[in-house]
Amino acid sequence: MLRVENLFKVYKNRKKNVTETVEAVKDVSFECSPGEIFGLLGPNGAGKTTTLRCISTLIKPTSGNVYIDRYNVLNDEKAIRSRIGFLTSDMKLDGFFTPDYMMDYFGALNKMSKDDIQLRKDYLFNELQMSDFIHKKIDKLSTGMKQKTAIAISLIHDPEVIIFDEPTNGLDVITSKSVTDFLKKYAQAGKTIVISTHIMHVAEKICDRFGILVEGELKEIGSLNDILENNSSDSLEDVFFGYILPGSEGEVSHAQ
Amino acid sequence: MLSDSIIILKKELRRIFTDRRMLAMLVLLPLLMLPVMYSVMAKMGASRDSEITSFRSTICLYEGIGNETVMGPFIESISTINTELEIVQLSEVEAAKLAITEKEKELLIVMPDNFHESLVECSTFDIGVYFNSTADYSQHAYSRISQVMASLNGDIVRERILERDLSEDILTVFTLNEVPMQYDLAKEGSVIGKIISILLPFFIIIYLFVNSMKVGLDTVAGEKERGTLAVTLVNQVSRLSIVIGKMMSVMIAAIVGAASSVIGLIIGSKYFMGMFGASGAAISSYSMSTLHILQFAIVIIPLAVLVASMVLIVSTFARNTKEGQGMIMPVYFVVMIMGMATMQTGDVPPKWMLSTPIINSLLVLKEIFIQGASWSSITTACLSSIVFSVILIYLTLRMFNSEKILFRI
Ligand SMILES: Nc1ncnc2c1ncn2[C@@H]1O[C@H](COP(=O)(O)OP(=O)(O)O)[C@@H](O)[C@H]1O
Ligand SMILES: [Mg+2]
Repeated sequence: MLRVENLFKVYKNRKKNVTETVEAVKDVSFECSPGEIFGLLGPNGAGKTTTLRCISTLIKPTSGNVYIDRYNVLNDEKAIRSRIGFLTSDMKLDGFFTPDYMMDYFGALNKMSKDDIQLRKDYLFNELQMSDFIHKKIDKLSTGMKQKTAIAISLIHDPEVIIFDEPTNGLDVITSKSVTDFLKKYAQAGKTIVISTHIMHVAEKICDRFGILVEGELKEIGSLNDILENNSSDSLEDVFFGYILPGSEGEVSHAQ
Repeated sequence: MLSDSIIILKKELRRIFTDRRMLAMLVLLPLLMLPVMYSVMAKMGASRDSEITSFRSTICLYEGIGNETVMGPFIESISTINTELEIVQLSEVEAAKLAITEKEKELLIVMPDNFHESLVECSTFDIGVYFNSTADYSQHAYSRISQVMASLNGDIVRERILERDLSEDILTVFTLNEVPMQYDLAKEGSVIGKIISILLPFFIIIYLFVNSMKVGLDTVAGEKERGTLAVTLVNQVSRLSIVIGKMMSVMIAAIVGAASSVIGLIIGSKYFMGMFGASGAAISSYSMSTLHILQFAIVIIPLAVLVASMVLIVSTFARNTKEGQGMIMPVYFVVMIMGMATMQTGDVPPKWMLSTPIINSLLVLKEIFIQGASWSSITTACLSSIVFSVILIYLTLRMFNSEKILFRI
């Protein structure tokens, strides 16, 4: 169970003696249960990456907390990390190595034994249909193969929670049947998946519940039906644009 | 903790040492740089020399008035040089000078009028030899003429002495170092060591730095740029382990570069140092003793750690490799100047150099090569590198723990 509780994040940057304050995340709270794929939707600069980085212990919340089971990011960084698979899809793996070696490396970084790594590799390579290219240099792989490699790496230690930030580059992959099927199956096995994106149809395809983040605030939260009902709308996209296009909010939400 | 660093180190080393292009940059380049440079220099020098000596120079000779009967030996001497002799009249002297200025002719020899009288009276007369110092051929002809004229002078003096029934020994009061003995009492091998040591510190620091940059900028700034650093941080290894692991890989790359350039320098020197004036015997007898190699390691390893930490702290601060390169350039220039400064310090370097990190290490390395570094200066150099490295590594670690720096936008 992933629980984000009253999360605030304020960036303070000093530029030429002027302190610039950005309130990137304001009082964000949501929960994701095991078995659920949660879509964090929001335009560029909404605070999606900031939220996901707080969950992954990469940055510290200004206030608020994030819990995974009985652990929280303020006090149990290590425990949280062992339960998280973190992936930003514009990550470029060093093209010199092979997927197989990268799995060994990240497995070792997660303190896994050689045998455990091998078992996990066998499972993931098979599930993601990667066997053909695991010994090829990443340089030589197609975008889709690279994305699969990245996904496999983030799952090497069998994390309970998967954080997937903006799968923009890997669009084709995340919507490709083999990967969506895999992610759904993975969630059904009791894992929690959080995906951030600003592209609605990607989210609609795989997510069970959604949060709409605008300017650091969580404006909507719920299943597709909940959100559409609340806004008396028939498409998630309309609701979304209602929030991000100033002045058009009323129009969209009251259409129909 | 350390075992975590080893995981990181192993991956970085695999990256470095299984990539042929990377290896070429890190090992082959510093190894071959000096031998290639030397051999090209030597080849060019040699072919130019042989071209100059085989060149047939044109020498103009003005014989002066009334000297017809005594010119014989002079012309004979001049003819021993590979030369085209042109006898010129007084009216042509100025034209000949102009031709030398224009590099069309090489020399003009002007004999004084009636010097045959001086010959008979045994009084001194002056011969003018005009040349052009900016023309290699003229310069060469000038030095050859000076030699043959000096030996002709000697022959005439010898004749005069014999005519007066004196021994020609009165010409030489004493000689210097003519008895065959070993007069240079420098330690065996230290002559070549001294010659190598002039270039050594400079090349060592350059390759420590260049290799550190090649590996070190990518290892953090590059990973930031590619987004793999964040993924590495969401794992079970501590940030200290990551910093230490990466530091070690940069250091190893640096040492490999420095060692390659030292080996290249020794190989290059053995074969091509002749042109720097070292005798063949001194060159082939040069080798480093185990003690010197040990001392070398004691100084160079902390120095490599220091250089690696300098690069790593910049790499950690920079948002991407490009920004890192921009930031490291000024540091690189300062270090290069430090390396150059050690080239010309003489035997007793100024105090401030001995207390400046990097420079003191380079000076000690130089001393080790001339076979005589004191343990106290070795320790000082080693400790100063360690102290500064620890400070830099501490600061790098602080940066690694600062989200402001790690996720700077
Ligand atoms: N390291 C940082 N320093 C200062 N401001 C930041 C930093 N990271 C993000 N921001 C700001 O915080 C806001 C939210 O950014 P982000 O979380 O990246 O949004 P998203 O991922 O939804 O595009 C933006 O206004 C961005 O400029
Ligand atoms: Mg983002």
